[in-house]
Amino acid sequence: MIPETRDDIDILAGEYVLGVLDPTARQEVEAALADNAMLRDAVAFWETKLHPLSSLAPPTEPPADGWSAIAERIDGDGRHNRSPGLWSRPTPWRWATAGFAAAAAALALYLALAPVVPAPRYVAVLHAPQREQADWLATTGNDGLTIRPISEQHAPAGRTFELWAIASGTARPQPLGVIPADGILRIATVPASVRGGATLAISVEPPGGSPTGLPTGPVVFVGGVQPL
Amino acid sequence: MSADPIASSSAAVLLDAVGRGSQAALRRLYELESRRLYGIALRIVRRPAIAAEVLQEAFIQIWRNARTFSPERGAAEAWLTGIVRFRALDAVRRHGREVLSDDPALGDDVVEADAVERIDAAAEAGALRRCLGLLDENQRRCVILAFVDGLSHSEIAQRLASPLGSVKSWVRRGLLALRSCLQS
Repeated sequence: MIPETRDDIDILAGEYVLGVLDPTARQEVEAALADNAMLRDAVAFWETKLHPLSSLAPPTEPPADGWSAIAERIDGDGRHNRSPGLWSRPTPWRWATAGFAAAAAALALYLALAPVVPAPRYVAVLHAPQREQADWLATTGNDGLTIRPISEQHAPAGRTFELWAIASGTARPQPLGVIPADGILRIATVPASVRGGATLAISVEPPGGSPTGLPTGPVVFVGGVQPL
Repeated sequence: MSADPIASSSAAVLLDAVGRGSQAALRRLYELESRRLYGIALRIVRRPAIAAEVLQEAFIQIWRNARTFSPERGAAEAWLTGIVRFRALDAVRRHGREVLSDDPALGDDVVEADAVERIDAAAEAGALRRCLGLLDENQRRCVILAFVDGLSHSEIAQRLASPLGSVKSWVRRGLLALRSCLQS
């Protein structure tokens, strides 16, 4: 039985997140989540607010074969149920190391050219997961942040690319702007979130950018921000 | 220093990619989060073999449900923690707490007086630490024993040698006090 008053809903949601509900009550909460926005918000509140408590459990190395057991079980698991998309093709893990090589090469190229541009403080090389080459180069300096395509890039017809920053230690992407059709976006002041350890990402959005302030389309390019 | 762009991606970005079917992103997420999540599972189920099972089930669920994660509702790390905690609670129920907690010394330190001070010094944690500090001792111990050790009402009653009714009321009053403190 899901209560109706604010206090009772918040208590029930708190007990659910704490994990003290008996199996029947827990199932009732889970069944009600889809339709009950107040309950859903209350659960999200407690999940977020109580999360730091989980740091009381010391991180521990799992068994060495942990990943291979998972990989074995997800191979062929429900893949046919997934909607096709850039990320959904079989993805060999080697792209990450390919990305490393590409990023290193792009970085070396950038450093070779560095004397002719104002001294940048950070650089990010963005690439798509299945591709070997670096696709975008973002740099910061006295003239702000600039991102430009390394190879020619076009958003899908009727869509635009939007640039996002995810600051180190946070999960919430911050919108930096829609990338113009010529592919070069300049932001006069480097956003505070763009520093070492941050991530830059480009998503595909409706014209004018995401209407929600968060990525709504697929994230098609990603790169870590490195100090120079 | 690694220049690999994906190696420095956040859990939220990786989870988005997992939602689009990237096994590579799931693997990276595992590399990034498995120590933390395994630690959380082990704290609740106590046995390494069962914690490993919990971690495996949790990652299967993450693989299947990543698309349902919405960053508007909270941090990716908290979402992952929720999945692991519920799988761990299921395992406790399946295997029975008495089988799992045969070493009574395990985990008792969590209700030591300095537990609150040991909460990670992240931004969100400051508020939680302050608000937990305002609870009375019994309310605080109930919240920590439930969230960190995965104890049920009756298990907390046993651990604190207190009546079940008192424990239920400490949990409820603790939650209400935490809510008003965390919202302010």
